[in-house]
Amino acid sequence: MDKYKIASHRLGEIGADYDVEGATANGINVAALIANGFIVKVSAPKPAKNAKKELETDEEK
Amino acid sequence: MATTTYLSNPVVTVNSVDLSDQCTAATFTQRYDQLEATAFGDSNRKYVSGLGNHELTLSLYMSYASSETYATLANIVGGTVTVIVKPAVGADSATNPGFTLTGALLTELPVVNATMGELSMIDVTFVGGVYTADVTP
Repeated sequence: MDKYKIASHRLGEIGADYDVEGATANGINVAALIANGFIVKVSAPKPAKNAKKELETDEEK
Repeated sequence: MATTTYLSNPVVTVNSVDLSDQCTAATFTQRYDQLEATAFGDSNRKYVSGLGNHELTLSLYMSYASSETYATLANIVGGTVTVIVKPAVGADSATNPGFTLTGALLTELPVVNATMGELSMIDVTFVGGVYTADVTP
């Protein structure tokens, strides 16, 4: 499930997590909140880059 | 003294968005359809309660700025949302119930109501939905 944060003071503290599942269960139209920027999707952190693997070269073979 | 004066206290949320500072009036009506149950032998009309048919009307200042009235309502017209009106700021309680309509339909939105020299205001009405008066803090 994607995570969302509050982006408008009219919804609560800006930056606080927004419980989309709970809101949906309570009849909140989450799509409308997203469409007008009241909540924003939190992008997942990029995975750390893997350490460079030593490449086999023809010379080593 | 059985009076209630509303100044700055009521809280109005539409689709969980707090529009209290845009709202000047709210009328929340708990209503049930009136079904006639009068039969032969009766000398007076009798009625029984039918389906709930609740309604909330809000008077709002119209603003097209972000996070304001238009942004809140534009994407929910024609759909159902949850609307809550509380007499005062603070937790729900027996003396401050959170009057709620869950699944209320907004059928129309006056997108422009302009009069020269006056602040633009609109009235919107939410109909239907499940009525509750939440007194649980």
